[in-house]
Amino acid sequence: MERRQDIALGLIFVGFGIAAAWMATSYSGAGGTYPMVLGVILTLLGGTVALRAVRKGSNEARVLADTPAKMITAVGIAAIYVALVVPLGFYTSSFLLMLALPITLGFRQGVYALIVALVFMTVVYLVFSVLLEKPLPKEALAPLLGFGG
Amino acid sequence: MEFYTQALSNVLTFWPLLAMIGSTLLGVFIGALPGLNPVMAIALLLPLTYSMDPLVALAMVAGIYNGSMYGGAIPAILLRIPGTPASIATTFDGFPMADKGEASKALKIACWSSAVGGIVSAIALMTMGPLLARVTLFFGPAEYFWIAIFGMASVGVMVGSDPIKGILAAVLGLLIGTMGIDSLSGQARFTFGQTWLLGGLDLIVVLVGLYALPPVLQLAEKCDLKGLSAAQLKLTNTPFAPGEIRSLIPTWIRSSGIGIGVGILPGAGGNIAAFLSYNAAKNASDDPDSFGKGNPQGVAAAECGNNADNAASMIPALALGIPGNVVAALVLSALTIHGLQPGPQLFHQNPILVGGFMMEMLITSLLIFLLGGAVATRVFAQFQRLPGVLLVPSILILMCVGVYVINGRPIDLWIMLLAGIAGYFLEKVNVPLAPIILGMILGPMAEQSVRRALLISRGDASELLTRPISATLAVATVLMVAWPLIKAVRRKRALATKNE
Repeated sequence: MERRQDIALGLIFVGFGIAAAWMATSYSGAGGTYPMVLGVILTLLGGTVALRAVRKGSNEARVLADTPAKMITAVGIAAIYVALVVPLGFYTSSFLLMLALPITLGFRQGVYALIVALVFMTVVYLVFSVLLEKPLPKEALAPLLGFGG
Repeated sequence: MEFYTQALSNVLTFWPLLAMIGSTLLGVFIGALPGLNPVMAIALLLPLTYSMDPLVALAMVAGIYNGSMYGGAIPAILLRIPGTPASIATTFDGFPMADKGEASKALKIACWSSAVGGIVSAIALMTMGPLLARVTLFFGPAEYFWIAIFGMASVGVMVGSDPIKGILAAVLGLLIGTMGIDSLSGQARFTFGQTWLLGGLDLIVVLVGLYALPPVLQLAEKCDLKGLSAAQLKLTNTPFAPGEIRSLIPTWIRSSGIGIGVGILPGAGGNIAAFLSYNAAKNASDDPDSFGKGNPQGVAAAECGNNADNAASMIPALALGIPGNVVAALVLSALTIHGLQPGPQLFHQNPILVGGFMMEMLITSLLIFLLGGAVATRVFAQFQRLPGVLLVPSILILMCVGVYVINGRPIDLWIMLLAGIAGYFLEKVNVPLAPIILGMILGPMAEQSVRRALLISRGDASELLTRPISATLAVATVLMVAWPLIKAVRRKRALATKNE
């Protein structure tokens, strides 16, 4: 419900505001006053949002995710990808992501996904590693395959 | 004039020119793909510009911005799907024209109108920007403080549907901006004992997360598995009637003026400019009933209006440090990346760079004439055959590479992911994201200015309000924040009177 969502939102910001203001009390001089004032303002604004929702919030549901399962799947796979980027290497983990995410979301044309993944990863390699020479996480499999890694 | 001649000679060199051509094409492509938008593209681009010459980096921003505003018209006309929020008004007459077999004509009108709007807007930026910057010579720390606060307050109030949540977002951004070592006292704030937080949260990492991840998650939710068929993207050529192009000139003049006016106002975006221009064209027409049924004037007004907003939104951003919209905030971030402090001193300290950027806004608008024609449009339209679900991992990879190369720290990837998830839900509960970024950009300027002003006045806070310009800005800020309240009270009274 919109009312409950806004009450929760307001209270979260009240919590942030109080925590920030309280932490700022340990900083000396003006370097502490400024974040403390901001913390207090955040608390007041959060409180206003929550109070306003209590007084006249709508009971109509506000949709937080159109298809929660797909959203959670995408977030979960993105988190796994971020966790694997360093241990597996950028190109290996990215290539796996290019195949795994569409298929998990219901894309059933494996060859199409593979071709797009190969083309896209080649472009990324040429742009970032060859043209721009950006340092990216090293490939874990490269030494096993006889490359420099 | 000499200032612009020098800026032009710098811009018309190989790399800036190549960057403008490439990024204008990239911008049209991004705008043409529903789900991608210029804000996301520029957010993804910024981390890659660290090692580039600032003029090349800004050329890419200008090209993507102007190109994508036109690119958004392609799916708006062909499919009634606005490629960007600013092209919603283009669907009103663009799609009915396509329905009548005049898609090619509608796309040509959109292309020319976008270019005209962009060129007029860039000329406004080049004339009004330096004039406004001259006023800032009279500014001291108190004025800089109020400018930063006014900018955040106006964007907080005007962006989004709930002013309180807008201001709340701005304060959150200000608080995030205080993380790390305090530049005046040297003490660490909100670092939680983590050394990687001593420099604060990286603006670009948060920005990429906030602006690029929510659209990616929405694309995943939409789960487009097929893309479009070739038949849906077929175009047929229809010739213009004699005098038809000339009849668009009054609409272009009117819409350019509206777009520039809206662009200068902080918080108002290209979509508002397009709607106002469309309504103005309809009101001025001898045949208002033909609007919404495929009137070329409707397409011309909407596209000219939304592109005229582009460069104009840079006027307060470059001269005062107050971005007119999110893209302007990203331009300020691009300047920050290259060690330039956005705000009133920018024009005085880096005139050639600022002049060069203004020239780039003009040239990329001209490039739309050359690159956005029917052939290019046909090519870009074909990208819509790609299933949307394949774009999801592609954008995620670009986000990660962009964020990782900033500091080479895996922790930044997690910060980006968390910022993106937070951004996704904050948008759903009507908390706008632009004020958060603006708070992070303008926060340090606001804090340093207020502390300097208090040091100069030996702690006398009245110094912030007694100088004429700072007092005016303070009153303007209060009015800006109080305006929604005044409006609500008025509405209540009007309703009560009506009920009586």
